[in-house]
Amino acid sequence: MKKGKYVMIITLSIVCFLLTLIIFMQFKVAKETKETNIDTMQEAELRQQLANWKTKYEETREKTEEISNTLETYKKESTSDIKTKQALEAEYKTLEQALGKTDVEGEGIIISLREKNENELSEDEFITPIVAEDLIYIVNYLKDAGAEAISINDERIINNTDIVDIGDFVNIKINSNYIRTNNYEIKAIGNSSYLESSIFGKGGYAEQLNISGIKATVQKSNKVRINKYNGEIEKKYIEEVN
Amino acid sequence: MNKKREIFILAVMCFVLTIAIVIQIKTVNNNGSTIGSSQSESNLKAQVLRMKEKYENEYRSLENLTTELENVRKNVASRNDELKELEDKIKEANLLLGNTDVKGQGVTITLNDGKSETNLFNPENLLVHAENVLLVINELRNAGAEAICINDERIVNKSAISCDGNVIVVNGEKIGTPIVVSAIGPTSRLSTLERSGGTLEMKFRILGKTAEFKKINSLTIPKYTGIYSYKYAKTVE
Repeated sequence: MKKGKYVMIITLSIVCFLLTLIIFMQFKVAKETKETNIDTMQEAELRQQLANWKTKYEETREKTEEISNTLETYKKESTSDIKTKQALEAEYKTLEQALGKTDVEGEGIIISLREKNENELSEDEFITPIVAEDLIYIVNYLKDAGAEAISINDERIINNTDIVDIGDFVNIKINSNYIRTNNYEIKAIGNSSYLESSIFGKGGYAEQLNISGIKATVQKSNKVRINKYNGEIEKKYIEEVN
Repeated sequence: MNKKREIFILAVMCFVLTIAIVIQIKTVNNNGSTIGSSQSESNLKAQVLRMKEKYENEYRSLENLTTELENVRKNVASRNDELKELEDKIKEANLLLGNTDVKGQGVTITLNDGKSETNLFNPENLLVHAENVLLVINELRNAGAEAICINDERIVNKSAISCDGNVIVVNGEKIGTPIVVSAIGPTSRLSTLERSGGTLEMKFRILGKTAEFKKINSLTIPKYTGIYSYKYAKTVE
């Protein structure tokens, strides 16, 4: 009788143990599927992901080739001071362009913003002057559409550029330079169709400006020229980590 | 009379049976097609993972090559002062472009959505939007920030901050709340964001969102992991 009871308890504990194990396994599997959320993605999203990784891969590959070539040049020309200097200068030039310290030219768009005339305003419209926020959003839309260089009234947008209102929305300051006008010309280099639709597409920012009494027009061109940034780029507080 | 009735019942039964068979076949067909699509989906998943791995391998080799390039460059430039000067300029440019991890004094700002009881009138205002983050970044630059990142994404000149539904996208990467903006620069000036009537109060706290501000003595900001590539813009003399 006692023996039967023990057998019963042991059997029960084994069953309980197995059950706990199975539950844990189930939890783990559920957690894993959550972590690789790729499993819950829909087909359209997966295609988007695939395209993203592919672009990233291709860009990285191009860069790898570029660096291999530079490396090759340094190694090959290691005995000639002149050739080495040329190679260093070439490398510096590509970095300079990325910093915005060179004049650049290429396909792109030119956006003009101006306040509407009295006769252009419909009855429920009134003019709200352009403020820094408008320009910040426009620059961000252009960057999102792949702009490779941007300027506002010939003031080059670099990474440290700030755009702020000065006084009671009288002036706007970009890169510590005052822009005293209500008319703006924004230039951007990149795929002109993408750039245009990022601002002028349906529901784009141009529509919003229009309601605020600002007329935005766009011109596509194969040869937009954008001036370089003339100031210094500060680096008093950042220190490289090796 | 009885026979007719039997035939009628039989006909009805046959009809019902046929319909049942047709429905069954259709369901099976449908099932088959969903199996098909889930197969192509899992195929797609495999492709995504493969491409991701391919990218990661390529990125690793890029990192190795970059280190090698730095060493070789340093070596060749050590021959005379003119070359050394050029090498320094290249290093400086890479530092400014966000191609290296950097450290220094700075601030972190943690932005989060508000709770629903803090703003009953306009729940839309409770969410941290891409535009809000954009203004914080602009404000930090104005206060002299020299390096900025959002969570782990370094903000470089080509970085855009956009919305994808309720998620914020930076450098093509999705970022959920809480959003941690870190900036290296003069902490005294960066602290102007915190003053009353400043951006954090007016664009966040008043609307019911939270914005937690912290000064940090030594902050590390990771490098940009994307690639600078130019397809349209060419430098002109």
